[in-house]
Amino acid sequence: MLTDSGPGPDPGPTPASEDLLRRLAPQVLGALVRRYGHFDAAEDAVQEALIAAARQWPGEGRPANPRGWLIRVASRRLTDQLRSEDARRRREETAAALTPRDEFVGPPPGESRAPAEDDTLALLFLCCHAELPPAGRIALTLRAVGGLSTAEIARALLVPEATMAQRISRAKRRIKASGAPFGIRPDGPEGSAGSAGSEGSAERLADVLHVLYLIFNEGYTATSGHDLQRADLAAEAIRLTRAVHARLPADGEVAGLLALMLLTDARRAARTTPDGDLIPLAEQDRTRWDRAAVTEGVALVSDALTRAPLGPYQLRAAIAAVHDEAASDADTDWAEILALYELLIRLVPGPVERLGHAVAVAMVHGPRRALALLADLDGDARMAGHHRLEAVRAHLLEMAGDRAAARAAYAKAAGLTLSVPERRYLRLRAARLAD
Amino acid sequence: MKYMLMVLGKQADYDAMGGAANSDSPGWSEADLKAMFDYMGALNDDLAESGEWVDGQGLADPRHARLVTAAADGTPVISDGPYGEAKEVLAGYWIVDVVDFDRAAEIAARAYACPVPEGAPNYPVVVHPVDSRSGTEMC
Repeated sequence: MLTDSGPGPDPGPTPASEDLLRRLAPQVLGALVRRYGHFDAAEDAVQEALIAAARQWPGEGRPANPRGWLIRVASRRLTDQLRSEDARRRREETAAALTPRDEFVGPPPGESRAPAEDDTLALLFLCCHAELPPAGRIALTLRAVGGLSTAEIARALLVPEATMAQRISRAKRRIKASGAPFGIRPDGPEGSAGSAGSEGSAERLADVLHVLYLIFNEGYTATSGHDLQRADLAAEAIRLTRAVHARLPADGEVAGLLALMLLTDARRAARTTPDGDLIPLAEQDRTRWDRAAVTEGVALVSDALTRAPLGPYQLRAAIAAVHDEAASDADTDWAEILALYELLIRLVPGPVERLGHAVAVAMVHGPRRALALLADLDGDARMAGHHRLEAVRAHLLEMAGDRAAARAAYAKAAGLTLSVPERRYLRLRAARLAD
Repeated sequence: MKYMLMVLGKQADYDAMGGAANSDSPGWSEADLKAMFDYMGALNDDLAESGEWVDGQGLADPRHARLVTAAADGTPVISDGPYGEAKEVLAGYWIVDVVDFDRAAEIAARAYACPVPEGAPNYPVVVHPVDSRSGTEMC
């Protein structure tokens, strides 16, 4: 906790702003206490905001609304602090009720358990258990591990708070009813997971990673302005995945997922217009990509690929890395992307993966060959009538110069999607091809 | 996935629920109404309890609905109820957040099976996906 000893070597604030800060401090504290209670914590938060102001204002200029600035900064500090305390308390409470974590997580092959590992992992394994419906897993993970309030989660997932409260308590009841903890007990008497040892825990880890990926996507695909709160979900997913990575640094898929999130999230600022319209990858302003996130993501995935068994998250991250490292769309190394997709569809021959593969084929070998691959996908029940398939077909037809067919495919895709921004984008593409 | 489940009805059905028999429907008795309230109440409770409930409302009699257009200067022009007694309109709806269409259909089937008096019409429940505001990065 910072005290009056202050920030150290920075030049002191000008007397004028010192006066102002002194005058504003009680107002800011009053606003915080009225809103949040927690007098002590609020005082600390205000203190920190004042220090931040004394540091920043002399160099960067005073904000137009100093009081608003201070309340904003102090509120952020306070909610961060309350949130992490809350999460810690909840973790401790839950952990107290759990069996020793060794019964949840078998250490991955060739790795001994770090003694300092806290209970975050055990809790994640519990919250992401396959017994729970997906919505329950997401809600419980955000609540218990992320430390978000029920209201925050409800807002982020666009449902009423009462709905979310029910979802969370139901998930908790379900965990209780199935005789929690459903640990994997390689040596224990009653393993309930039905699988044993490291294979079981690998499966459980895959469940956790899947939930984290779902949370990330929920946030990343939120587009318009009033969805900003949902965007926090992407940050939350990254934070949680970092925590898992810190505890299982040797696991390539954990590193791969973290890299994939960072490399995808790096494009956030460039992927939509201010109005929430989608901007395709090829047309994004790459100067707006977050370079630090790209650098970190590339380093993570490169490292994982050299030392860990290959897995789908690493491959997806590697593909994202090739895109992110290209200075422009024209510089994209499609041959490399195609090679990675060849590996990916061998590991995961799902329709989404094959669709990505087809796009890479088009970029390397031309659209006609890729259109033939799409014809194979038409027979896949999971993909039939899916707008992504039609949207990709439209792009390929456009590449092939078949404007009329491309226009029809865009229009068809627009009719199939349930996403407002996607529909707008697809209709615009169709309209662009009208003669 | 969010779905809107829509229940339809005519003004005549509303009248019948108020006890006035007509060519479309017999009048509802108190027991008939109680059975419906209990049935729908239980459905609502279950949806709330399962965490799938987002919203749900019944609408007032169709005769309270108005049609609104605008005059050249932008002022509203209001005309009386759009609906003759015989036209079926939205009578109520739920918005549910469910895992997939099959689950939405299950809920709709349960709403459809609500007990009504012998001879009263029973309309299909409309299950309509709600647009989402999310979008994936288009290639």
